[in-house]
Amino acid sequence: MAYKVQIDDIVRDATPQEAAAIEAQRQATASAAAEAEAKAAARESALAKLAALGLTDAEIAALLGV
Amino acid sequence: MATPPVFTAGAVLTAAQMNGIGLWLVKSQTIGSAVSAVTVTDAFSADYDNYFVTVNGGVASTTNYGDMTLGSTATGYYMSQNYMTYNSNTVGGISRQNQTRWIAITVGTTNVLNGQCWIHDPFNAKNTIVNAWYAQTLTTGENSLVRGYLADTTSYTAFTLTASTGTWTGGEIRVYGMRN
Repeated sequence: MAYKVQIDDIVRDATPQEAAAIEAQRQATASAAAEAEAKAAARESALAKLAALGLTDAEIAALLGV
Repeated sequence: MATPPVFTAGAVLTAAQMNGIGLWLVKSQTIGSAVSAVTVTDAFSADYDNYFVTVNGGVASTTNYGDMTLGSTATGYYMSQNYMTYNSNTVGGISRQNQTRWIAITVGTTNVLNGQCWIHDPFNAKNTIVNAWYAQTLTTGENSLVRGYLADTTSYTAFTLTASTGTWTGGEIRVYGMRN
């Protein structure tokens, strides 16, 4: 994919090396985002299971310390 | 004369008054059109130990984040991030060791770019520390705090913000030095 990079006031097409670095950063950031989303989903799932056991919202909050 | 920062026309400022000024604008960089990464050179120097960097205005092509690197270094970035969304009381977070960059120093939407951070000792032969935060302009968007450091003692003069996806157009990056 073609990228434009800016160095101070100069905007130009990224070199292959710069493009590769951007791609690598983006893939790493996407992985981090996916991990955070999975963590949030697991938390929601756990909360739903606690509620299914009969805990009230207040009890769940107390359990979590929030 | 009035006590600074209230000045009157024609007032003569003393050295003591000028030396009492905290933040000095080092550089202001307008972001170009449809760029994926912006490098600001000559941002850090021996003049200051601590810098305040702001990103405001402009738009992103899609919701994205701005990841930061110093110089050409692509290793040794440590960070923790806490974030909340406007529609939840839940605090989320991630921690990362020895990364290729600091993640999510700024945020962008199709409305505006936002982010600011303190960068401590980027020019000095010490670990560089970052403290950053942003607020996303989406009704269910997030706000974030990032704290971290770069585990080397390299002296840096430049930094780069790289969009996590898409591009940025317009807006301003401003670098202020805090008087030592």
